[in-house]
Amino acid sequence: MLLRRHFLFVASLLASTTAVMADEAAAGFRAQFLAGNLSWDDVLTQARSEGAVQFFYWGGDDNLNVWMDSVVAPAMAALGVTLVANRITATKDAVDLVIADAAAGRTIGDGSVDAIWLNGENFYTLKQQDLLFGSFARALPNAVNFEWEAADARSQLNLRDFGTLTDGAEVPWSGEQYVCAANRAQLPVAQTPHTFEDLRAYLEANPGKFAYIKPPHYLGNTFVQQVLYAFNPDGTGAEPFQQAIADLGAAELARLVAPGFAYLKQIEPLLLGGPQGAVRYPEDAAAAEGLFRNSEIHINCGFGLYAVATKRANGSYPQTAEEIIFPAGNMIKNKNYLAIPANAPNPAAALVLANYMSSVDAQVTKLDLVGYPAGIDPWTLELADAAALAAAAPAHFGVTQDELDANIAPDTNASLVDVIEATWLEYIERGSRLPLEEIVANAVAKLAP
Amino acid sequence: MPSPSWRHRAFAQWRPALGLLPLGVVIIVLFGGALLLALLQSLGFAPWLGVNSFPDLTYFTTLWSGASFWWSLWFTLYYSLAATAIALVLAILLALCLVQAFPGRAVFGSLSRLPLVVPYAVGIALAVIMMGNGGVLSRLAATLGWIDDPAQFPRLLNTHAGLGVIAVYVWKQLPFMALSIHAVLISAGREQAEAAAVLGATRHQIFRAITWPQIVPGIVSSTLICFAFNMGAFEAPFILGGGFPDTLPVLAWRYFTDADYALQLQGMAVVVSIGLVAGLLIALYLALYRGYEHRLGRV
Repeated sequence: MLLRRHFLFVASLLASTTAVMADEAAAGFRAQFLAGNLSWDDVLTQARSEGAVQFFYWGGDDNLNVWMDSVVAPAMAALGVTLVANRITATKDAVDLVIADAAAGRTIGDGSVDAIWLNGENFYTLKQQDLLFGSFARALPNAVNFEWEAADARSQLNLRDFGTLTDGAEVPWSGEQYVCAANRAQLPVAQTPHTFEDLRAYLEANPGKFAYIKPPHYLGNTFVQQVLYAFNPDGTGAEPFQQAIADLGAAELARLVAPGFAYLKQIEPLLLGGPQGAVRYPEDAAAAEGLFRNSEIHINCGFGLYAVATKRANGSYPQTAEEIIFPAGNMIKNKNYLAIPANAPNPAAALVLANYMSSVDAQVTKLDLVGYPAGIDPWTLELADAAALAAAAPAHFGVTQDELDANIAPDTNASLVDVIEATWLEYIERGSRLPLEEIVANAVAKLAP
Repeated sequence: MPSPSWRHRAFAQWRPALGLLPLGVVIIVLFGGALLLALLQSLGFAPWLGVNSFPDLTYFTTLWSGASFWWSLWFTLYYSLAATAIALVLAILLALCLVQAFPGRAVFGSLSRLPLVVPYAVGIALAVIMMGNGGVLSRLAATLGWIDDPAQFPRLLNTHAGLGVIAVYVWKQLPFMALSIHAVLISAGREQAEAAAVLGATRHQIFRAITWPQIVPGIVSSTLICFAFNMGAFEAPFILGGGFPDTLPVLAWRYFTDADYALQLQGMAVVVSIGLVAGLLIALYLALYRGYEHRLGRV
């Protein structure tokens, strides 16, 4: 792992000696496109001459990979562009590659990554390092499929990614919601927890039967964020967590998160392995899923509005798995996006891919075959298209779409996520005896400038 | 003007160097380059991430001043040394057994080498499937009614006792060590041992005075390789280890994959620390071995 990253770095250093100069044609294309001087036909022509698009995405979902190869690749081929699907195990790998390329002086036309599926901290990193292609999302023909009107609260998911302004540098691709599944073979409907207090009561009766994924994994971070929303001492839920750390301040953040962290500390002995004296946090979604399948935990949580339907169908969840509304009113919903790096080797082909992914066709087949909620906004579509989207949606078990919609909460600002995860590591995992205010203040002080 | 024969001689002189070139390039550029970059980064040099405070020892001082680092170091050393020691004792017994004649020796010998060709990842998967709380043993126990629920099975994996990690290392490294010791035994022949037996030496005396000095070089080289590997191995402690405090390679990985890029430099300080500790221990081990050879008069 470490060696490979070095290899990448060294290799890009060597390559840079032969191709330091920016690709003039690609740089010109970017300037013209961002200035609005090109028609979409010009973009298509340029994309055909580039010939291929290097798309980097997390390759851990077989359904998604099959859809990519059997639906997206032919559709792109019809536009004269070969889709090169680079399946990676972590999105950060693609971000690292963009940064390594840039460090080696490879600018637009010379890099290795055309498009990345990402959100949250990874987008924040690229934006901070000024490594994004530019504001393209609203210039795509399919931009009409999204709500951009800031006055409409529903546009926030298109305009902000974990609190970071997207500025059109990424286009929404899928929506997601944090949903927990219960195994009805162990957990009867009457005992279903809806709040974190319910969860504690359930765990007191059934010690060790719940686990959340270890932060800094984003699924673990999300669970922690929901706890913090629910225990917000002002009762304002997610609201104050939308601000950046610079505006909120370390002392105020510490005050807001104190009851939530106290709860996390309190339930620790009741979590998986706690009764045996060594609490165990699963490393990733696959590990948690294995525990759930084996009845070691009764509730498994993750992002996936239709995950229960998909997993029941492919056998990775038992047929007794059902969705539950937990935590009520604080189920985090967000979107994930396609971003184009500043050093994309084939920028026009990347734009064509982003536009195709935003089409009704792509979104309907993705929902149908992969089960990922639409990234486009149904109310902006023609009635027939919206109906097709609704018809493609997989089923819910035990809850209705309306109940799921009624309990959503926004994500936490990306600049707070780093602080919260550092606080969790220090306060919960390392069991630091420092007061929480000091831990939060240290985490804020250590943040990358 | 140089004659053709001179040119030929010059070429012959350089030919070994030519043969070493491919490996030399790989070692110097890829390994040496990575090592140098790791050292530079751990000292605060990473301009491609917008960090450059070279030379800066704070990454090491913060790392070494935390108690959790020393716990991590302890677990890393404990898993590496325990696995190497257990595998060594079993490997000596196995190698001594394999030089004797017994029915089915060829089949047994080949079977015992099977783990050599099976990757570590498969061994780890086997450990999860067999020893985990959702594994074959726990389900068997639940089916037989010894426990009510597979989750009640005693936790063998994911504890700091590291039974799973050590089991995988021993499973994989035992045949490797046995093979090198066995090879030394075969090449040394049995004449000396037989002569000693004729002269009335006991089995214990033969082992101490003849067999042990014969196999020591094989033991040193194979334990060295296994120990160095165990110190730097990531997968087994990541999947089978007990979580925080993690072993040093897992700690480095956590820093490295964190979304906060500044932590990569901290991760590099961990990597360099692993190299320092492993290098020091190996140097000490080799010095002791050299002293032993010296006393025997072999060097």
